[in-house]
Amino acid sequence: MPSDEVYRAIESAVTAGEPAVLATVAQTFGSTPRKTGAKMVVREDGSFIGTIGGGCGEAEVWQEAMEVLDGGAARVVTVDLTEPTDGEDKICGGVMRIFVEPLGR
Amino acid sequence: MTTSDVPPDGSAVDPALPARIAAAILAASREGPPLVSCSVIAAPAGHPAQPGDKMLVFQDGETLGALAGAALHDAVRHAALAAIPRHAVETAFFTPAGEGLTGRRAVAEAAEVVEVLMEVVEPAATLLVVGGGHVGRAIGEIGAILGMSVAVLDDREDYANRDRFPFADQVICGDFARELDRFPITANTFVVLVSRGHKVDELGLARVVGRGAAYVGMIGSKRRTRTVLEHLAAAGVDAAALERVFTPIGLDIRAETPEEIALAVLAEITLVRRGGGGRPLSAHGQRLASAL
Repeated sequence: MPSDEVYRAIESAVTAGEPAVLATVAQTFGSTPRKTGAKMVVREDGSFIGTIGGGCGEAEVWQEAMEVLDGGAARVVTVDLTEPTDGEDKICGGVMRIFVEPLGR
Repeated sequence: MTTSDVPPDGSAVDPALPARIAAAILAASREGPPLVSCSVIAAPAGHPAQPGDKMLVFQDGETLGALAGAALHDAVRHAALAAIPRHAVETAFFTPAGEGLTGRRAVAEAAEVVEVLMEVVEPAATLLVVGGGHVGRAIGEIGAILGMSVAVLDDREDYANRDRFPFADQVICGDFARELDRFPITANTFVVLVSRGHKVDELGLARVVGRGAAYVGMIGSKRRTRTVLEHLAAAGVDAAALERVFTPIGLDIRAETPEEIALAVLAEITLVRRGGGGRPLSAHGQRLASAL
């Protein structure tokens, strides 16, 4: 469940009309660091509040968040955290679908 | 906060609506009552509802904002109301005509799908631990790990202090009866009676039973707990309310240590919150469990 800090950041971005992006875990498959509903707010200055799991998944979402900040449309980003090993199916990690949307626009 | 704020066709959008929605979500996360935040996250091109569209659904069925397309709006509203008692946070799938799709195959085979992220927003569930002994401490600790807001009550300073419960949101040292009488109990409060003795547990149970908690559990053997329930029934406590008390407490995993008992209790609380059968999911586990 997102922290009070995250809900406050969303509310203040929307109310003040400060451009920001909200990333929310919308769906998970397999073992993922955060579950559905986890949120991260990314502000125009690059600062962020909350976490959707850290690591490379967050970096991928970051890219998309910057595009949305630049005026891009809301979108779903699929982050694949599985590590393929030679000759094996991807068995560890998981897949997260993350909804990225503009706030304060 | 009425359904007439925005017509379902999405025309005449109130410019202050996003701020009102954000404020309502913040308030619900702090004080409740619960609401469901419904966000369209994906929709076929040309569908009137588009990613980012939002609607809040309140417990009483009222809405703030609306999703374009009356059939979709109604279907999401119904699904949202069903999500509240499950405390669900999930993405649901609908046909553009508003028919709910369940199961991976149905979703995969649908030509076009509207995806709606539905999040029940409510204050963190409160775990009220009555008794700060070994079992109470372990229960509080696991409860905090699970994201519950933990409150601990004991009448002994050595067992109700910050050093002992660094993970608790509230540590209350005081008279059991008085403190329980004034502790707010809601449909999202889980009460665990694990004090130093069944006399105190009985007193505690008398103070909390029938007040609408999501869960009331009391530790003790079958025989002891039956005696406590008989005492309270004889004292005029509502029989139906006593029947809903989880006692002896916890799932049967043959827990022995305080930490194992805590695990059994939190497993039971999770079952109450989420549903489920409380059995091993594997066939092997079921064979093992039934062999005991």
